[in-house]
Amino acid sequence: MFKVALKDILARKRRLVTTGLAIILGIAFLTGTQVLSGVLKNSIESLVGTAYVGFDAVVRSPDEQDLGFGQKLRSPVPESLANEVDQVSGVRNALGVVETTSAQLVGTNGKIVGSNFGPPTIVYNWLEDPQLQVGKLIEGRQPAALDEIVLDFSSAKDAGYKLGDQVTISAQTGSEKFSLVGLMGLGENGDLAGGAKMLHFTTPTAQRLGKLPEEFSYIAVAAEEGTSQATLANGLAAALPDEQIVTGEKFTRENQKSVSQFVDILTTFVSVFGYVALFVACFIIYNTFSILVAQRTKETALLRAIGAKRKQVLLAIVLEAVLVGLVASVLGLIGGVLLASVLKTLVGTFFTVQPGIPTLSAGAVATAFIVGVGVTVLSGLVPAWRSTKVPPIAALTDISVDRSSVSRARVIWGTLFLLGGIALLALGLADAGPNPLVLFGCGAVLFLVSVAVVLGPLIAAPFSRFLIWPFTRGSAITPRLAGENAARNPRRTAATAAALTIGVTLVTLIAVMASSIKASVESTVNSTISADFVINSSTFSIGTGIPTTAVVQARQVPGVQLASPVRFAPLRLTDEYSQKQAATKSGPAQANPFGAPDAAPPGEDTFVLGIEPQTYFKVNDVGTLQGSPKDMLPGTFGAELKEADKHGWKLGDKVPMYFARTGVQELELALTFDQGSGGGSYLLPLETFEANVLALFNTDFVVYVKAEPGADLAQVRTQLDAIVADSPAISVQDLGEFADAQTAPFDTFLAVVYGLLGLAVIIALIGIANTLSLSVLERTRELGLLRAVGMSRKQLRRTVIGESMIIAVLGTVIGLVIGIIFSFALSVVISADSPGLFKYTLPTGQLVIITIVAALAGVLAALAPAWRASRLDVLKAVSSV
Amino acid sequence: MSSTQTDTAAAGSIEASKIYGEGDTEIRALDEVTVSFETSRFTAIMGPSGSGKSTLMHCLAGLDRLSSGRVFIGDTYLDELSESQLTELRRDKIGFVFQAFNLIPTLSALENITLPMDLAGRKPNKEWMDTVIDTLGMRPRLEHRPSELSGGQQQRVAVARALASQPQIVFADEPTGNLDSRAGTDLLDFMSHAVADLGQTIVMVTHDPSAAAHSDRVIFLADGKIRDEMIEPTADRVLDLMKQLGD
Repeated sequence: MFKVALKDILARKRRLVTTGLAIILGIAFLTGTQVLSGVLKNSIESLVGTAYVGFDAVVRSPDEQDLGFGQKLRSPVPESLANEVDQVSGVRNALGVVETTSAQLVGTNGKIVGSNFGPPTIVYNWLEDPQLQVGKLIEGRQPAALDEIVLDFSSAKDAGYKLGDQVTISAQTGSEKFSLVGLMGLGENGDLAGGAKMLHFTTPTAQRLGKLPEEFSYIAVAAEEGTSQATLANGLAAALPDEQIVTGEKFTRENQKSVSQFVDILTTFVSVFGYVALFVACFIIYNTFSILVAQRTKETALLRAIGAKRKQVLLAIVLEAVLVGLVASVLGLIGGVLLASVLKTLVGTFFTVQPGIPTLSAGAVATAFIVGVGVTVLSGLVPAWRSTKVPPIAALTDISVDRSSVSRARVIWGTLFLLGGIALLALGLADAGPNPLVLFGCGAVLFLVSVAVVLGPLIAAPFSRFLIWPFTRGSAITPRLAGENAARNPRRTAATAAALTIGVTLVTLIAVMASSIKASVESTVNSTISADFVINSSTFSIGTGIPTTAVVQARQVPGVQLASPVRFAPLRLTDEYSQKQAATKSGPAQANPFGAPDAAPPGEDTFVLGIEPQTYFKVNDVGTLQGSPKDMLPGTFGAELKEADKHGWKLGDKVPMYFARTGVQELELALTFDQGSGGGSYLLPLETFEANVLALFNTDFVVYVKAEPGADLAQVRTQLDAIVADSPAISVQDLGEFADAQTAPFDTFLAVVYGLLGLAVIIALIGIANTLSLSVLERTRELGLLRAVGMSRKQLRRTVIGESMIIAVLGTVIGLVIGIIFSFALSVVISADSPGLFKYTLPTGQLVIITIVAALAGVLAALAPAWRASRLDVLKAVSSV
Repeated sequence: MSSTQTDTAAAGSIEASKIYGEGDTEIRALDEVTVSFETSRFTAIMGPSGSGKSTLMHCLAGLDRLSSGRVFIGDTYLDELSESQLTELRRDKIGFVFQAFNLIPTLSALENITLPMDLAGRKPNKEWMDTVIDTLGMRPRLEHRPSELSGGQQQRVAVARALASQPQIVFADEPTGNLDSRAGTDLLDFMSHAVADLGQTIVMVTHDPSAAAHSDRVIFLADGKIRDEMIEPTADRVLDLMKQLGD
């Protein structure tokens, strides 16, 4: 008897784990991301900490340009400032630092090292003071000649360079070679890899590559012995009232914060997918508990018959849910730490991470338990409540298990949910309320739930029969049974399918939007750009771009009619409207630094294109112009009509704009146009652009080239290719290639999103497997009968697999439909915002592939239950009464 | 083993034993049972619970395997068959009627009747099907689901299924166990009729003397051994013999 009891508990324990598997995966993912983000932040912060550890103070310009994401770019300081700072009392040494992202490292394979999404490549000048120099030399010597370079050891390895090699650098002025004379690293011993690629040159070379002629990015200061950082900063502030001074500690903190912020954004982004997975898990828990409660009807009724109260019945199931939640959370936490460890090893190939097993913070543990237990209990509540309605008499009658149908209450509530969901979606899309994204998200959840609880059960049965219809000609009994099994319990089938619906909805939405965006970009490029070729750069670090000599050379190519350069820079609009806008979303006030505070007046940050008015409009169709390109003289600007209207500007108005280099400038609106090409809502004539933006931005980001009519395009292209031949990042593209290049970074992003959504899909598959297992258990007698009258194991397996495929395809098809509806709604909103630009395009091939993959995934999910069903003991099945 | 046994018998067993457990806990459900069931006869197996009557039937029907000895259906010895060959044998040569839960709830009565042939991918013999269905009076209910049929009707569908593929032998395990006496008598009449007029062979396990009275021959089992048999039984004689055996 004891053995039986023990077996019962063991069997139950296993079921607890399988039920919780969905929660385990979700929690593991969330915990893993959280833990990893903590490790990353700590590692990055300590790396950044070691980089600037020798700085006691930094003297820099108060003029800053906001780049978004908390990144700021400051005006350089004059070279002479270093000497002035050196004179201030308490200063032991003051050295000018060059720190820009204006060059790229080219590997021995001729390709740029690193990607646009990874850590940056930074140009430094080597500082003659070991306290101030960033990092430590570990091999060779410091750069002494103009053509010498020191690399960080990790980048040198990635690029394939050894001491003594000639290193290729791609800079604004084209490719250059430098002798590798030393290797360095971060930390006291120089053995830490910083992630960023650090290129150290002599000061004159760094200034040239960084476009800082006789200038520095800032001045790094070492204090005399016994002078505190605060005393030093105060002294500097008094002596140099026009400069901004920060202590070394604060400078480090600022840098740490800007990196951490990036990690936070990334963590939030990835966590969203964890929550999607948990949402999917809700359906599975709900479904599993529903089935268990239904199967236990007799047991419950018996309990009720012998005197158990409704509350006790409810409590029993809630307790089980709590237990599942607890066990799943614990296992999820363990899984999360394991996941983080694996990911940490992967990340460790990019930069030095803290050694050891990642530890759990109290916060991560609390989140895991609250979310894990909360989700499980919430999902189990409805089935638990339903079980209390089992009448004691049910113990005596032979009622069949979970005969679900679609009740009228279900339809009414479902419709209300659906309408509420649509209303919230509409509000979200209409940009209403303080957080339209949250509205949209809640609307989407309501919509999905209502579809799952109303539409799903309504269509599950007819859909299942429809799906197997082509396979049931003649006397094919296996597909017929599979279809009938899927149809016999529409509520269960629908809820199981719904878990898959969520993932498929998101995949469809993203796939449709992606294909639409691609089609839109392609059509915009084709319809608005009339150039034959575009010289384009594959990097977009600030300061990298196309050498300004390229456009000059392109114009000399025989057969070229015109070449039009376009530049790009940030700018802050400081007119009344923009200031008002800024006031509504101003962040927390910043602590005042020593010396001059940040100089930028309040306003809205945007970006501006520097163009050549006489050529730009010949290759870019920006719609109807008001004003003439000829009017775009120095001191004027052009704006998209929509923006001008929003700000209340008319042609001839003077508009204040802030530039870090030149401060607030009043520019005259000389031209408006219908729609920006390449996202440019604001245009400056090149002269004005050059005069105002930081030198780093004075590089072309694209050059449009138009050939003369009848010119030999192939020949023109060959000659253009020759101009940019030595820069691996720059290429000559025709319009098709240019359109592809615009969306190429998008593809990487899509791959990541699909990968992350894979988690939700896997959890949904676990759900299908779970439901099938329980159904197989429930149909033991029936399956036994089938086997007794001659169904082979193979046929039985096929029946279960067929049922699984039906569920999977049902979930997928509903997901496809909802995804298409959502994407269409989005496209309507986008089109309303910018009419004519957005081309709604269904990626039919992809959607077909998604459906086929889902059906195959259904096969995968059914493997275990099918195997179990086919191994069923026929005798036990038919003789158990 | 005599060859005449296999020639005239539809099925049978030779020194069939089925042993559960080991040592002190050993239970002999069947103890060297040798028996044969003639073609076109209606044989009943009777005995108290635990007598081994169900085990004997399960082993004869290829649902269970013996510990020692042999069973045969026609000229096929079941111990020589693999698992999938056994499945095919059940599908093609044997008909089943269980006490309850005989039908697949998702299939109509007609689909349930043709199920074994559909599983085999064979076409039913139309004439035979009509005969069986009409004999059982099931024609008006063919499109109904099992849940729409009464208990007696469900069992009749089960008998129809068992007969539909013209098997060598039909095994019925307490087919009237869940029916009221009238429905039970109807069903048994149908079964006798199938044997007498259609030439079928039926072996039925029962503990109900009046059910056994419908058969041509009754075999009495107790403690895994055959204790007695009776030709042309009546309910009273069966009851008497049961009382004697119980003593």
